[in-house]
Amino acid sequence: MSYEDREGLTETENDRFEQAFLEAVDDGLLTLGESGRKAIYFHLQSMCSLRREDIPNKPKEFMEGLRKIFGVGVQVLEKAIGKNLYAKLGLQYAEKKDHDFLACIDDARRMLEQKE
Amino acid sequence: MLAIYKASLILLVGLTLVFVFQGFYPDLIGPFSNAVSPLIAGLAVASSVLPLKKYWHKIGERFSIIWFFFTAGLAFWFLGEAGWAVYTFVLNVEVPYPSIADVFWLIGYIPLFIGFYLYVRIFATALTRKALIVSLAVTIILAFSVSVAVIIPLMGTEPDLITMVVDVAYPLSDLSLFCVSILGLLIFFGGNLGKSWAFINGAIILNTFADVLFSYVTKQGTYYAGHPVDLLFIYAYMFLLLAFHVHVNEL
Repeated sequence: MSYEDREGLTETENDRFEQAFLEAVDDGLLTLGESGRKAIYFHLQSMCSLRREDIPNKPKEFMEGLRKIFGVGVQVLEKAIGKNLYAKLGLQYAEKKDHDFLACIDDARRMLEQKE
Repeated sequence: MLAIYKASLILLVGLTLVFVFQGFYPDLIGPFSNAVSPLIAGLAVASSVLPLKKYWHKIGERFSIIWFFFTAGLAFWFLGEAGWAVYTFVLNVEVPYPSIADVFWLIGYIPLFIGFYLYVRIFATALTRKALIVSLAVTIILAFSVSVAVIIPLMGTEPDLITMVVDVAYPLSDLSLFCVSILGLLIFFGGNLGKSWAFINGAIILNTFADVLFSYVTKQGTYYAGHPVDLLFIYAYMFLLLAFHVHVNEL
């Protein structure tokens, strides 16, 4: 997500968004259980130098890292994280065709801006 | 990571050469084959214990259960190999088929199937209609080949009912594993875990061919300990060993 994308949110809103995103990732990766989630974080850090805390600032790198591990199967995790994020922000999640994970995150941010 | 591939390749080539040149040491190849098979199966169990240790969190958690079933399945297959070795080395039974060893082998398919199924089920929604059609087509081709090679020729020709049931049970069990594992390969295709699933699929296909050939040669009365078909079973264990090693390294 580029810096420009965040300009519409205040610092507090942005913190709230990033916190919700991180929690959504935590919950979404629980699809594989606690040990699976731990293994994913470990591999993202060793393979892509991506720490858990940096994920909200580097969603593209995060998704590329997951795709590198899971291939096509990453869609399941993307969807779980997306749904969790919308729920945590109190937004209505609607699956859109040809809408990738990053677009889904951008939509959530935009909807949050409008809501606030 | 590369070291394990190199070591496996050297081992596979070495074992193949031992089997190819068995004409020079006909009395040794039988005991060699009967001893190496449980050894490689034991290594495969060990390779599944490592991920079990890594992914184990608590009973009831998906990944913990999945890897428990994988290890349990391979442990039963190891017991099958060990049982076969006991029959040949201790009880001096030349070809113990069917025997108690087959009970272990056949039971082993159950936890393996459950493990594969639970794993694939987590990611099932990632499967497209096209992927499902591909998996169905490949499974049908394999099922047809197995039916033509084993099941149909056996119908009504095998005098011993237990032997016939066991002959048919193996390829059917292999096919049931393949039905699920091919989905795993399609789900993780393009990802690092796809390599692990490719080895799993390779192992199951090798096992299927090995079981079909084994049924065929035992029916013909041409099987002996150290028959080249034994090599296919060993290859299959090696592929499973690699699959689990790759998995634990990639996730």
